[in-house]
Amino acid sequence: MSQRPGVDLDDEADLTRKQRREQAREQRKALEEEAASSAKRKARLAQLGIVVAAVVAAIVVILIATGGGGTKKVAPHSAEANQTVAAVNTLIGGIPQSGNTLGNPNAPVTMQYFGDLECPICKEFTLGALPAIIQKWVRTGKVKIEYRSMETATREQEVFKTQQIAALAAGKQQKMWNFIETFYHEQGEEGSGYVTESYLRGLAQQVPGLDLTTWTSAREEPALANQIAADAQAANNVGFTGTPSFLFGKSGEAGKKFEYSSLTDPSSFNEAIAKLLKG
Amino acid sequence: MSARALRVTLIVLAAVGIALAGYLTYVHYSGTTPPCSIKGNPCSQVQKSRYSELAGVPVALIGLLGYIVILGSLLASEGERARFATMALTLGGLGFSAYLTYREVFTLHKICEWCVGSAVLMTIMMCLSVWRFLRGDVDAQARAAQALAELDGPQPDTPAAALPG
Repeated sequence: MSQRPGVDLDDEADLTRKQRREQAREQRKALEEEAASSAKRKARLAQLGIVVAAVVAAIVVILIATGGGGTKKVAPHSAEANQTVAAVNTLIGGIPQSGNTLGNPNAPVTMQYFGDLECPICKEFTLGALPAIIQKWVRTGKVKIEYRSMETATREQEVFKTQQIAALAAGKQQKMWNFIETFYHEQGEEGSGYVTESYLRGLAQQVPGLDLTTWTSAREEPALANQIAADAQAANNVGFTGTPSFLFGKSGEAGKKFEYSSLTDPSSFNEAIAKLLKG
Repeated sequence: MSARALRVTLIVLAAVGIALAGYLTYVHYSGTTPPCSIKGNPCSQVQKSRYSELAGVPVALIGLLGYIVILGSLLASEGERARFATMALTLGGLGFSAYLTYREVFTLHKICEWCVGSAVLMTIMMCLSVWRFLRGDVDAQARAAQALAELDGPQPDTPAAALPG
């Protein structure tokens, strides 16, 4: 292969110019691509921001629509307290009560309701499916409900005992269910320490006809504390681990564990009761 | 991670979500008790609480439909719109999961393992889909770079050009 130095030099110079032009073109292209890519990224970030804002707004709307969660302390004799008293009276007024039992003492079926007054799920049941059960079965004398204590939501054992005994003490005047219903209606935020002496006294003041002096002295009776311990033992014996839990059975016989399908829809309770009444 | 691998991962996660939400929908309608390792079966209490429905529609069913729509957006032909749809849907799903978790923790004071599982799944899907959306079509970018390199041909100072002819 022959060497032609003059031509090679020209070629080299030409190549260098070409390379420089090419490099400049590539640099410009890279800059343009970078600018386009940056604009795209900005547009995507803006779209992302809009979606995040829309999602946050939707959550806020859902939260407002479904309620904020906790309930505030209700002052006795306030408009809200009067509403609760009226609602409770409409629900259980005229139904016989005896101690922890609501309903006809000779009712053929007994439902045992194991609950903790601070348990929000019990509140759901008490304000959800229970009114329909009371209306359909308790008011008609076919079922009686025994409220039994089981500590789940209340964080301090002493507070649990105090509040449950306060309810049982109202039962000494055949008004335990008024106290229970009022407690669940006005239940506060779990774990917020709202259950104080003044809170319990405020609830007692909302129970029509409850003699506060008698109620206060009844709270000291050891039999009520023993009842709480017996309820805990009974719950433990059947293996209950959460509240609300239920035992259903013919009155006078041992109740059987009942698995509900909804806390707000009474259908599964209705089926169980109807079955017991037939059997 | 290639765009294809990312998309396949998201499809698998959406399928898991469909199975999970489908089971919870079945639990809701059948009234059965979901298995739960936590004492007291809080899963059952959460599933049967009033927050298990939104405007009368079971939240499990809303979740199931959500996962199905997300899967649909992933199976649609790859493009900016599909990636945006997946990102928006998973962000919406995460928001809904956050609302439900709030209700569990601050209103009901119970934790349901199944719900937490779905929330974790949705969080992973949201992170992946936001990443996928923000980085755009990486495969197309790679293809364009490769095409450009092929058009430019071998450079004079590359080892291939220096080889004797």
